[in-house]
Amino acid sequence: MSEEQRVAAELRKRAFALFRRSLHIRTVDTGSCAVCESEIRLLSSPYYDLHRLGFFFTPAPRHADLLLVSGPAVRAFDPALLKTLEAIPDPRIVVAVGACALGGVFGEDELVHGSVDAVVPVDVYVPGCPPSPLALLHGLLVAVGRLEEKVHALRFDLREEAKA
Amino acid sequence: MLWFLRGLRKGVVTSHYPARPDPSTDGLPSPPAFRSDLLTAELADRLAAACPSGALRRDGADLVLDLGACTGCGRCNEVGGRAVAPSGAFELAARDRTTLLKRIPIGAGR
Repeated sequence: MSEEQRVAAELRKRAFALFRRSLHIRTVDTGSCAVCESEIRLLSSPYYDLHRLGFFFTPAPRHADLLLVSGPAVRAFDPALLKTLEAIPDPRIVVAVGACALGGVFGEDELVHGSVDAVVPVDVYVPGCPPSPLALLHGLLVAVGRLEEKVHALRFDLREEAKA
Repeated sequence: MLWFLRGLRKGVVTSHYPARPDPSTDGLPSPPAFRSDLLTAELADRLAAACPSGALRRDGADLVLDLGACTGCGRCNEVGGRAVAPSGAFELAARDRTTLLKRIPIGAGR
């Protein structure tokens, strides 16, 4: 890792530590089928209750710390997405949610970008179609540095797991 | 019956995740895991052809699984027989997109 990257990582860590127990989330749907939204809404249900972690949804991007983007980044939605991102004060976190946003479902064409990171810089990727509320919660906790990434260690090889 | 007694009897239903594991994700659709010793190049090609979202492809002697593209539809599970099973993994969030690309060696240990 170069000196620049190390400093950037350290700065990001310290900035994001501010959000550890108080995070306001703005969601943006860039043309998803609304199942990701349905799972995101479930986070505020009594069972998952994300308020217990100090996380809140806010309708105003100017009050938000984190932008939660779902959908395949429809080109017609670019101005709204970029305006929302600009309205969020620095430091801000962008989380891409779902297989569409990660480039799994739609290819790039004249209507969609196919993935969110073609439009805005993404800090954390949350896979799933849709990601379950706990997968989203894990993604948010990874984004603010309260949990470590676990996907590094997963091999998706049953033979190795049987051996271990 | 007094409604709050019903609530008190049920206790706290809110999930304790992440402090404790949560059973609510058990049995949900999840990306596949593979028996690398049972994989062959021919089977890997068939799995890649069956994948509707292009999450599986064969790259030489490896099967590449893109967790970001996987929708957990389970079609590889139908094609792959004993070589494929749902992984049950859900804590897949990653800071780097390339972390989500998993390489599974084909026919390892033979």
